[in-house]
Amino acid sequence: MAIHNRSARGAILRPLALALGACLFAGVAHAQQPGTAPVAAPPTELPAGLPDYDADRALPELGLIEHRLDNGLTVWVLPRQGGLPKVNYVLAVRGGLASDPEGLPGMSNLLAGLLQEGTATRSSVQIAEELQRLGASMGASASSDGLLVMASGLSSSAQPLADLFADVVRNPAFPANEVQLAKTNALQSLKAMEAQPGYQANRAMGRVLFGDHPYGNTLPTEAGITGTDVTGLQAAHTARFRPDQALLVIAGPVDGDQALALARSAFGDWSGEGEAIAAVPAPDYPQQAQFVLVPRAGSVQSAVRIGRPAFDADDDRAIPAALANTILGGGFDSRLMRNLREDKGYTYGAGSSFGLRAQGGAFQAQADVRNEVTGAAIGEFLKEFEAMRTSAVQADELQRAKRYTAGTYLFQNQLQGAVASALASNWVLGRPVDYLSSYVDRTSRVTAAQVQAVAREFFDPARQSIVVVGDAGVADQLTPYGDFSAD
Amino acid sequence: MRCRTVLGGALALLAWLAIPAAAQQPDRWTMPIRTHTLDNGLTVVVSEDRSSPTVGVSVVYHVGMRLEPENRTGFAHLFEHLMFQGTPVAPKGTFDRVIQGGGGMLNGSTRPDYTNYIETAPVSALKPILWLEADRMKTLDFSPANLKNQQDVVKEEIRVNVQNQPYGLFFVFDMNRLAFSNWANAHDGYGSFKDLEGATLADVEGFHRDYYGPNNAVIGIVGDVSADEAFALVEEYFGGIPARPTPDRPDVSEPLNTESRREAQADALAQVPALAVGWKMPERGSADHAPMAVLSQLLAGGDASRLYQGLVKGREQLINLDGGMGWPLGHAWDYDGPTLMTLFALYKPNVDPDAVLAAIDEEIARIVAEGVPEDTLAAAKTKMLADYVNALEPFISRADELAKAQLLWGDAQTLNRVPEWVQAVTVAEVQRVARTYLTEGNRTVIDRVPAAMAPARGIAAPASAPAAAPTQD
Repeated sequence: MAIHNRSARGAILRPLALALGACLFAGVAHAQQPGTAPVAAPPTELPAGLPDYDADRALPELGLIEHRLDNGLTVWVLPRQGGLPKVNYVLAVRGGLASDPEGLPGMSNLLAGLLQEGTATRSSVQIAEELQRLGASMGASASSDGLLVMASGLSSSAQPLADLFADVVRNPAFPANEVQLAKTNALQSLKAMEAQPGYQANRAMGRVLFGDHPYGNTLPTEAGITGTDVTGLQAAHTARFRPDQALLVIAGPVDGDQALALARSAFGDWSGEGEAIAAVPAPDYPQQAQFVLVPRAGSVQSAVRIGRPAFDADDDRAIPAALANTILGGGFDSRLMRNLREDKGYTYGAGSSFGLRAQGGAFQAQADVRNEVTGAAIGEFLKEFEAMRTSAVQADELQRAKRYTAGTYLFQNQLQGAVASALASNWVLGRPVDYLSSYVDRTSRVTAAQVQAVAREFFDPARQSIVVVGDAGVADQLTPYGDFSAD
Repeated sequence: MRCRTVLGGALALLAWLAIPAAAQQPDRWTMPIRTHTLDNGLTVVVSEDRSSPTVGVSVVYHVGMRLEPENRTGFAHLFEHLMFQGTPVAPKGTFDRVIQGGGGMLNGSTRPDYTNYIETAPVSALKPILWLEADRMKTLDFSPANLKNQQDVVKEEIRVNVQNQPYGLFFVFDMNRLAFSNWANAHDGYGSFKDLEGATLADVEGFHRDYYGPNNAVIGIVGDVSADEAFALVEEYFGGIPARPTPDRPDVSEPLNTESRREAQADALAQVPALAVGWKMPERGSADHAPMAVLSQLLAGGDASRLYQGLVKGREQLINLDGGMGWPLGHAWDYDGPTLMTLFALYKPNVDPDAVLAAIDEEIARIVAEGVPEDTLAAAKTKMLADYVNALEPFISRADELAKAQLLWGDAQTLNRVPEWVQAVTVAEVQRVARTYLTEGNRTVIDRVPAAMAPARGIAAPASAPAAAPTQD
């Protein structure tokens, strides 16, 4: 479940946690003059004397180079000048949490975590020590549609890091003792996570939005962890990690030829075996809105999640939806934040997102609110949804959203590892190679009518499912919004 | 929860690290830093970097949780929220609207020794950002409605991060209460609801007057702008703000502990037991500082560290391990008073917490007795410095670290010196600081277990169980 944009402002703990939202890379750099713009509700006169924005400077070109090795491995090279002399590798494969065997949800998490816990020729501790010596980092993660393995290090260590990276990707040994330890710890971590209201809400929301489809059942279970074994991990690795189903991104101060040489040396003799993993089917979305109260005794807040099914990641509506979402629930200057936090004081942070996958997706809004305003908060969410549907967004508010997403794109572009991961994530989602580089321009052409069309369809209060994790005593406040007794 | 921002002399350091270990004289590169102090005492630190058409800005004030009044716990943080509530000329909402609408992101945070306000944006938004920061340094909109609204928001923040979460940050606030003796260091920086509700407009006005003058602040600016341009803009927008008297800083110091402190707690929400261990650290800038930072890396810095390999792997007692010097409210180089090295781990229910402590002590004792191999020390330093540089990649982080270094150390160039300090640390120094600071007498331990496990462990029921009914104070 993609949940973004929780506010951390006023944080004691998270000063630099800049929430990069669903509309991670977007926007346009048209100069909007802050001195001239009357704004959408609530109108705010800009102060006399506030200087205008300067003219925007050009957005950097990505300069992405695409190759395909003889074994079918797709290689994207992102040559970078300036910045830190670092190299980033990302290897993405198709097949993630939604491809885990029935009864073993979350197995991909174990698979990802165990890749660097031992290979045919290196022990877990050898890998950790080699990374430390190189001043490098490595990690892997699972999403619904794929797995990403990521490494970063100094450009001067590009070759030894590539060798280590390829070993981890290609030859994980899944040593029995490491698998056992990972399972034991995953069981305890699961218990710890299940105590968190957000985790409970995500679990309920996944099922509400996607029904029995694997997209709605990606969180681990005790049975799934217990049932995972070396044989199953090995089989999943073989079916998913194969060059014809994989993308390698190399980013750093390298040119195309150097990067290709690196790719060939590390992955050129890699070959796949057996059957590749089957594609995930499109979801058969539940037709009716559902209402779930997950009782949590003694809870001093209600975790409120409101959402409905949407569309898959390469749908044309994705870009207007990203802008509509920014206006509704992206960042501090969003309607939800202004209303629920800055006007009502119901919550530390309210926001929304479109969580899109290769074969489907969902819209979701969320906030954690104190018990006695749980019903009132839901009412405010639905009012804001309705306002987006009934009134066209004003030109300046749309323009602000475009500038915000453009700035987010620039920030992300500053961070080489973030760009490499974004490219790989888009590939996993089935988006075209130029998705990232064309995003800003495509966003700039979105009209208020397109935003409203998205809002009409996906923000319709009558179609929203609602999940509340909280004290059973809040039930009375929920009755105006649906029948929460069903689950 | 991870918020470690590390600092460093970015580009240089990498070039330097690129030299193979034990090679010839490293080719040091130094992060360009220029500073300028206005007549009103405001210091500006600038580092130009043209690799992205963006800018990072950080305005850091030299006031944090340590300096809040005794009946106003949490006030420094509440005040930070009020800094976003508008001014007489730029009403509530303007700040977010202009910065976010200019393509930027913004945030703020409160720590023991400072409060920071950070922005990153396309460089085209630099002027409005600086203008708005200057505007709220001059005055705020001291209205009852804004105060009440943010009292509510802060209470929701405490509910979401403390009261409604398993573990509830006990490894910060309970740890500080137990480990420290001086109230400035020991109290809850999030604050009690009673103190938060007791805050008045007069408190807000007084805090702004006393601590938010230009002479008590540093501005860091990093990115696609020259130092001269940045200095001129800061002069234009901030130059007319008069300096204001700042109260004398209280004595926050306290010695190392000589008797161990320990507490067991029941957690109404947790399902897995957790352990936090803290030791008081050397003074910032002392001869023991860099060796302790390196020792912290050796013990708890990632998967190759002694405690990860010894306790998560090896003895298989812990499920995970987090922590370090200054963690989680800072890092090894940004404190200005007594601080801790803290470890936080979930442990297996069938493991005795005393066995975990014994294992930690064993790993420490091994370093005290045997030292560490030179190549182990070198690898730990390499990883530490690589992480330090990576954390500086975003301009917003670099601006913040520069401003903090100027504020806390009195010299932003400190960022360019830390790498040398780290590289100079010897095995003998690591042994010395392990022996001096990581002692049982200087150690504080909190064992936090699920309520269901508490009776068997002889632990009383949760002292502050969440209200059972949905009524709130």
